[in-house]
Amino acid sequence: MHVRLADAAYPIGPAAPRESYLNAARLIEVAKRSGCDAVHPGYGFLSENAAFAQAVVDAGLTFIGPPAAVQRALGEKTAARRLAREARVPVAEGTEPLRDVAAARDTAARIGYPVLLKPASGGGGKGMRLVAKADELEAAWRGATGEATAAFGQPALYLEKAVEQPRHIEVQIFGDARGKVLWLGERDCSVQRRHQKLIEETPAPSIDDELRERLGDAAVRIAKAAGYQSAGTVEFLVDAKRRFYFLEVNTRLQVEHPVTEMVTGLDLVALQLRVAAGEALPFAQPDVVRRGAAIECRITAEDPFAGFIPVSGAIALVREPNGPGVRVDSALFAGMTVPDEYDALLAKLIVHGRDRDEALTRMRRALREMRVAGIPTSLPFHRHALYEPDFAAGRYHTGYVAEHWPPADRPDLPDGAAAAAALVAVLATRSRSERSQVATVYSAWALAAREDALR
Amino acid sequence: MRYEVSLDDRRVRVEITPDGRFTVDDRAIPADVRETVRHRQWSVALDGETHEVTLLTYDPLRVDVDGRDVHASVIDERSLRARGSAARPGGGRFELRAPMPGLLKAVHVKEGDVVEREAPLVTLEAMKMENELRAPGPGRVVRIAATAGTKVEGGSVLLVIVE
Repeated sequence: MHVRLADAAYPIGPAAPRESYLNAARLIEVAKRSGCDAVHPGYGFLSENAAFAQAVVDAGLTFIGPPAAVQRALGEKTAARRLAREARVPVAEGTEPLRDVAAARDTAARIGYPVLLKPASGGGGKGMRLVAKADELEAAWRGATGEATAAFGQPALYLEKAVEQPRHIEVQIFGDARGKVLWLGERDCSVQRRHQKLIEETPAPSIDDELRERLGDAAVRIAKAAGYQSAGTVEFLVDAKRRFYFLEVNTRLQVEHPVTEMVTGLDLVALQLRVAAGEALPFAQPDVVRRGAAIECRITAEDPFAGFIPVSGAIALVREPNGPGVRVDSALFAGMTVPDEYDALLAKLIVHGRDRDEALTRMRRALREMRVAGIPTSLPFHRHALYEPDFAAGRYHTGYVAEHWPPADRPDLPDGAAAAAALVAVLATRSRSERSQVATVYSAWALAAREDALR
Repeated sequence: MRYEVSLDDRRVRVEITPDGRFTVDDRAIPADVRETVRHRQWSVALDGETHEVTLLTYDPLRVDVDGRDVHASVIDERSLRARGSAARPGGGRFELRAPMPGLLKAVHVKEGDVVEREAPLVTLEAMKMENELRAPGPGRVVRIAATAGTKVEGGSVLLVIVE
């Protein structure tokens, strides 16, 4: 889709990410050949790779994002934790990068299970494993090492004490080249499976203004300590007692940035371009006003009825919702093939409302309107969650998906809908199995009228 | 022709007469069914209501009706007779298939094992992620059709469970 919408397109190599989207030398060579003057890394692949940011600058181009030095200071997770401690921001107990699984076993025994095993480089939850007890550690180590290598080209892992029933709350920060750093509000991204986010919203329903200010303040302290520039996100875990712990900094624009754009009215990508061009942020902290509430659902090519396993295949039909307060950032079109080499994200459905209730109502309506046919998608999960009482009340933490999906029981199908679905199921399977040209209209009314006319 | 359709937990009997009339659960209904997107979407008007039905996937059959997703299956009367009146659509036997091509990292069960619903059966690596495939219901593993450590094609049978 991005290629179809682009003004110019250049081949960057084969589908395997290692040979194209992760191939920094090739990307820079193409960038120079195309005559462009700046590179925006998006939010996957090399977007958090300091070496790439440096290589872009070395090639005489502008990197749209935090400078390589900032990425280096924050991108390596254990270094970021040190920096947070120095900025007097609370950090969950954890370690430096670990040598091997034996070192992990010793450390886990010392700080106590459950622990989280995490890649030292990278982000987005890839390669992360929750280890509940000692005998799960070895398998988790193997899986996490493999995923970390595949996703970030770096096998290094570290351990962190797991915060129980945490909410994943992150703060959007923005800095310019003149040392100004602002925070633009927070997002609750606790609805996750396999540490991959499914729903994000702002404001976070579980925290009050006082805690929100403290989180924003902590995020700005860390960002200033690192000399932050451009868009970034400081992630925190907030436990049931409202204590918060610094988690990591994502040194890039994030997938879920639209919810912040909806409530602030800011265009974060445009701001990134201005800051990359050397301009100052054109406003101050008191000018950042957040209005109403926004929710994002990540519609993915995953089958929620099969443990959210990623699926690939052809998209046969797409209908995206619209209307007041509805935004769809989408890669979908009918006829496209969802490849199996990339992340499963297909579209982001974002709504804005005067308050959370209006945003919920709009999201329910938008999810009801949206259609994606051809492959299974996460839509059934999102539709369920938006009506589920705990989500609707804002009572949720990172265990939400495990606790509420698959649903124990679903509301009965109304009789009319059941009759319609049954008729279509029969007609569709019949026309398919007979491979015949079936008339496209079956109308008892039309038939009755014809019979009347013949009588 | 008569059909038995299952929609999630619900069963509906559908008959289409040779002259194109419909009955649903033995009640004749005046229905206006229009295929709005070929092989994919239908608009159904009945009893003063209109419903939109979208075929999400054919195998397994999943439909969206009015923004609600439903797992469906259709059996015609010949198949019903062949199975005997007690047979339930889809019941009794489950083939675990690879939902997409990938590397079968591990098989967690062996032939003869009795498994509960949601029991982990195999780990499949695909799209850079390891995915655990779980049992859809309780049953006994009667056949293991794939070997751990090998690549599997999308759609290939990995193992078979009977209730």
